Amino acid sequence: MGLRWHHFALWGLFAVTLFVLPEFVSRGTLRTLIFANFLAIFAISWDTLSGRTGYISFGHPFLIGIGAYTTAILTKRFDVAMEISIPIAVIATMVGGLIVLLPALRIKGSYFALVTLAMMELIYQLVQVIRPDLTGGTRGMSGLPTLTRGAVNGYYMSVSLMLAIALTTWLVMRTRLGTALSAIGMNEEAVSGSGLSVTKLKMAAFLFSAFIAGLGGAVYIHYLGSIAPRALFDINFVFTIIVAALIGGAGTTVGPIAGAFFLTFLLEYLRPYLPGAERYMVYSGLALILYMAQPKGMWELFFQGIAKFDRLGRRE
Amino acid sequence: MSAKLEIRNLVKRFGGLVATNDVSFTVEPGQSIGLIGPNGAGKTTIFSQIMGEHQQSSGDILIDENEISRLSTPQRILAGVSRTYQVPRPFSDMSVAENIRVGLTPDSIWQMITRGPNPDRELELAESVGLAEEQLARLPSELSMGDLRKLEMARTLATAPRMMLLDEVFAGLTVNEIAVISKLVQSMRDDGMTFLIVSHDLKALEPLVDEAIAINQGQLIAEGSYSDVMADKAVRASYLGAE
Repeated sequence: MGLRWHHFALWGLFAVTLFVLPEFVSRGTLRTLIFANFLAIFAISWDTLSGRTGYISFGHPFLIGIGAYTTAILTKRFDVAMEISIPIAVIATMVGGLIVLLPALRIKGSYFALVTLAMMELIYQLVQVIRPDLTGGTRGMSGLPTLTRGAVNGYYMSVSLMLAIALTTWLVMRTRLGTALSAIGMNEEAVSGSGLSVTKLKMAAFLFSAFIAGLGGAVYIHYLGSIAPRALFDINFVFTIIVAALIGGAGTTVGPIAGAFFLTFLLEYLRPYLPGAERYMVYSGLALILYMAQPKGMWELFFQGIAKFDRLGRRE
Repeated sequence: MSAKLEIRNLVKRFGGLVATNDVSFTVEPGQSIGLIGPNGAGKTTIFSQIMGEHQQSSGDILIDENEISRLSTPQRILAGVSRTYQVPRPFSDMSVAENIRVGLTPDSIWQMITRGPNPDRELELAESVGLAEEQLARLPSELSMGDLRKLEMARTLATAPRMMLLDEVFAGLTVNEIAVISKLVQSMRDDGMTFLIVSHDLKALEPLVDEAIAINQGQLIAEGSYSDVMADKAVRASYLGAE
């Protein structure tokens, strides 16, 4: 895996910084950070599927929604404990991941993106009309059990989950599985021509992505204590996840985290000036400029900056 | 150990077009056969069918007497046959070492996670095709066409083939690069590798093959020693454009 001590030192430093943050920031900022952590989880999940394999999903809330609704229904309607409902939700989401995989065996590119978008729309319509006594229909559900109380505990829960998922993903992607998944995104036929089953690899990517989406979605609604279909299946939510991964640096683990934090704070700081949906115009414009400057994202810009600094240092 | 390839009555139709028309031939273990024919004759289509990238309409493909038609491409590679492509297909954002690593990766998710890469083997494969150690960290975009062909050979060799299908292996190469690739193929032949080679560069192909097979419009028109095939009237008419 080519692990060096400095890798763990950097991860340790990152974790310590995040864990001491509540001592220095307001409760309001902490709530923004909680959302950033969940967005980072969803962006990592999206990146595992789309950033690595090149199968761009426009319907990631389909997976997040399966996780969220499964645990919401089990806890609210059937009084199942969260310790049981969350693992069931994750398994259900992984089954959902296999459903997303099916079109990926036949189609790719914009066709695949459109099918996933249709999947999200389908589940959005279904939760509203099929058994609204279970799903809560258009209004969703409130009064769900919560895992934590207060912003500080919520923050620690979200940051722990995000770090655990990020570190696991980072480690897995450093193995030959990560190399093979990235190879699919570059040339699927050549992967097959190298003796690797592309179907098996795609299944691994889709299941891993669904695992993260299901876990993130389930824990997220047990942080909120409610579920609202309109917010969950909002097209802006999809684009926020995708843009976070893209401008952070698709195909990396740290990129989606950086992108999620950048976008969350950007949207939050724009709120007093642009309270409506116009905020999304500003952030899309900014994302576009960033993307044009460096298609590999902020993470690549960061490395370029370090390389430049290093060259300057050597010259002096 | 070398592999034996048998093609029996192979037919491939694309709608109304018959791309492979009842083609049969055998490549014995350790033998090297040149597959020649004009553009559009159906040479690459035969390669694609052997590798399972295109499913034949009818006919049999056997490796070491075992029918492989129902196997997927990775399973055929596991059976011992690998190919290179007319246009090299490197993984563009990966280094040379990582490109070779993909070929060395076992087709098991569990082993991909638990077994680390083998840099020594990557270097060994790179050097075996004439790539230098300092090139391992380079991106494919930084390589010449000759080095891209070498990289493709290295990635193909990483799958441990017993038979290699080389498609236009000399295309776009300089005279020096052709000499290097020829030497490489010769040394692999000496080690017992079975080859089926497609090339338009007949001069470069001649010393590398024991026999030749000529096809035109999907049909086998001549087979035998290289000189006999080249002297064949039908071959000259179709391939060389002479009566």
